[in-house]
Amino acid sequence: MKYFNRLKVLFLATLLLVTACTKNESTTNSSDQSEGSNNGKEETYELVMAFPVFGPVPKDMDKVEAAINKISKEKINATVDLEPISIGAYDQQYNLMLTSNEKLDLLMVSFRTVDGLISKGSLHELDDLLEKYGDGIKQVFEPEYLNAAKHNNKHFIIPNYNEMAESNGLLIPKKYVDDYGIDLSKVTEFKDLEYVFEQIKKNNSDIAPLVPAGVGFSILDHYRWYDSLGDSIGVLPNYDNDLQVVNLYETHEYEEHLNLLRKWYEAGYIMKDAATNQDSQIDLLKSGRGAALISGMKPGIAEDESIKFGMEMVATPLTEAYSTTRNVVGLNWGIPITSENPEKAMQFLDLMFSNEEIARLLHWGIEGEHYVEVSENVIDYPEGVDGSNSGYALNQNWMFGNQFGSGYVWNGTSPKLAQDYKEFNQTAHLSKALGFTFNAEPVRNEYTAVSNVIDQYKLSLETGSVDPDEVLPEFISKLKAAGIDTIIKEKQKQLDEWASHQ
Amino acid sequence: MTKETRRWQWISHICLASISIFCIIPFLLLIISSISDEMSILQNGYSFLPESFSRDAYLYLWEQRGQLIRAYGITIFVTVVGTSIGLALTALLAYPLSRKDLPLGKFFTFLVFFTLLFNGGLVPTYYVYTQIFDIKNTIWALIIPVLLVNGFNVLLMRTFFMNTIPDAVLESARIDGAGEFRAFFSIVLPLSLPILATIGLLQTIMYWNDWMNGLIYLTDPSLYSIQNILNRILTDIQFLTSNSDYAAQSGKTISQLPSATIRMAIAVVGILPIIVAYPFFQKYLVKGITIGSVK
Repeated sequence: MKYFNRLKVLFLATLLLVTACTKNESTTNSSDQSEGSNNGKEETYELVMAFPVFGPVPKDMDKVEAAINKISKEKINATVDLEPISIGAYDQQYNLMLTSNEKLDLLMVSFRTVDGLISKGSLHELDDLLEKYGDGIKQVFEPEYLNAAKHNNKHFIIPNYNEMAESNGLLIPKKYVDDYGIDLSKVTEFKDLEYVFEQIKKNNSDIAPLVPAGVGFSILDHYRWYDSLGDSIGVLPNYDNDLQVVNLYETHEYEEHLNLLRKWYEAGYIMKDAATNQDSQIDLLKSGRGAALISGMKPGIAEDESIKFGMEMVATPLTEAYSTTRNVVGLNWGIPITSENPEKAMQFLDLMFSNEEIARLLHWGIEGEHYVEVSENVIDYPEGVDGSNSGYALNQNWMFGNQFGSGYVWNGTSPKLAQDYKEFNQTAHLSKALGFTFNAEPVRNEYTAVSNVIDQYKLSLETGSVDPDEVLPEFISKLKAAGIDTIIKEKQKQLDEWASHQ
Repeated sequence: MTKETRRWQWISHICLASISIFCIIPFLLLIISSISDEMSILQNGYSFLPESFSRDAYLYLWEQRGQLIRAYGITIFVTVVGTSIGLALTALLAYPLSRKDLPLGKFFTFLVFFTLLFNGGLVPTYYVYTQIFDIKNTIWALIIPVLLVNGFNVLLMRTFFMNTIPDAVLESARIDGAGEFRAFFSIVLPLSLPILATIGLLQTIMYWNDWMNGLIYLTDPSLYSIQNILNRILTDIQFLTSNSDYAAQSGKTISQLPSATIRMAIAVVGILPIIVAYPFFQKYLVKGITIGSVK
């Protein structure tokens, strides 16, 4: 028995050792924090800020963080602990952090997850805080856009300020336009595209003129003439329709578009396996399997896409710019209820929107090390540095407050991009339902059933792969059987209710 | 050899050969894709006979070697330390459980068995490990959760001890004056090399291939293992190609994502050591299984 006891002691000792080693770190952390308080009696608060990164985590994150902290400590007596999380793991990790009450003060939430977080009560209400500390934020936004991000008439999230509206148009590499003599001024609406595709096909019969703008997307996913009200189940045609919700798939316009797509598909203008394609649009265009795509448009899109595709691209808008709730609520900042100090969190948010120094650090890094100013307000990598070896090539300026809050644009983009954006946002048409968000909870069962039917039919119909004369009626009757009318009725009810509060 | 048995030999060999070919083909394709030219993959898809070869992917990895070597170091450290500690704990737990004179032995065995059927679920597990043991963003996050001691391995080893170490051997050791520790280290362990090697190999493979712990407990990329890097690249690409809303914003990031061939090359680099090491362990693995079955 003595030996058994000894064994037990050994085991416990190992366990203790393991936990002791790791515990140490957190205690040193907190002592750091208390030493740091120099502003009178109040202790400096450390904000934990979680956000996704779309590539590798920059290796100089700590340096940038330290530089930010120097400013924020002075201004609001708070420091920030940047917690970049790789996008693939982001949803899982922040959900675990929230459910286990880990300290988290600022959280990036996307339009996909925001409704769930609000209905679970995971986010603080921000109205009072915004009133008290949010002047910098309010200055950046046109009031109608900031209001559009409300849920149930209350602020839970602060959207980032970038493009608040979207138009749709054609993206095509410049080499095809030049080589095949395509006159893009002739193209002003959807059906004019036929001319472009004809020209491409005539000159190069191997290539599919039109490809989907992403894996799992149909052609019509990026061409809209209606406010999808979040999910395209029950929509507002022409962004107005006197707030009468209709079934998109039954409308005459929808059928017309499908017929056109079918005609193009049969003429060989649309990629043959568009409905089942697994290659990204970039791979398709780079490899010369596809020539053009229909995509969302915003100012400076041609330059952006040229970088993305690695070749010069031309953009031709086909619709006017409209703003819907979805355009405003893209990526947003929220303050989780696990935050111990929501005031400081809000103050930091405000600082991020209004303080040029902090914006510069978050957007581009440290001057001289990660970027240099090459001409007025235009920046580029310092000598010997490029995207692959820079310590802070995050390029996510559209995610930290005001996209143009730094006052800089990267070399290669138009120096007056900020003005273009401002103008774009101010002149965009507003959907009559801007600010409305549908809560699908009351019709959960129907919603799942209808979504499944849509998944089954949409891709093949909206790429022209099947004959709409046969399949569209079948699609509609299955939607009815799944209960789409119930959803539309519920949506109408919620929309009326929402409208009565405006 | 009679005609009958010869025919059987033929059939079984053909069956086994085709199964192994099916196992080898994907590996072959993986390796060939990693040395294919990027353009030929984009145009014609993956192929065993690409139009042109290129070593660009490996040159890219060589440029990024700082990060990769570090990740390799992490993987090796985690595998070695994790397997050693795990093996020691498993043996130290399994041996007493195999002894018939252990008080409450049945109860303790049941406790181990219980963990095979039920666990706390992800959220409570995460809570305990991060809030109480505080292993988030430490190297222990890759070693301790899930992988360190596995109830199944404990029971496997316990059964081995019970079946292959005769009580008489332990008794004779005791008569010769050996205490429990001496009996365990000098008699039981040397006799149990096959099972130690088997479980050691299982654990090594589990540690080498694990990316789940890194996904859950790590946000600090300097602690990423090679599998975490590969997993991160794959999920990033998957996410960005199927969510064009985000992708529209991140043109610059997308243009810097590793291409298909580079992904394949990373997979090859990650998998190579385990393929090289496997044949050396294999003889123990076979022995461990046969010894268990004879007795």
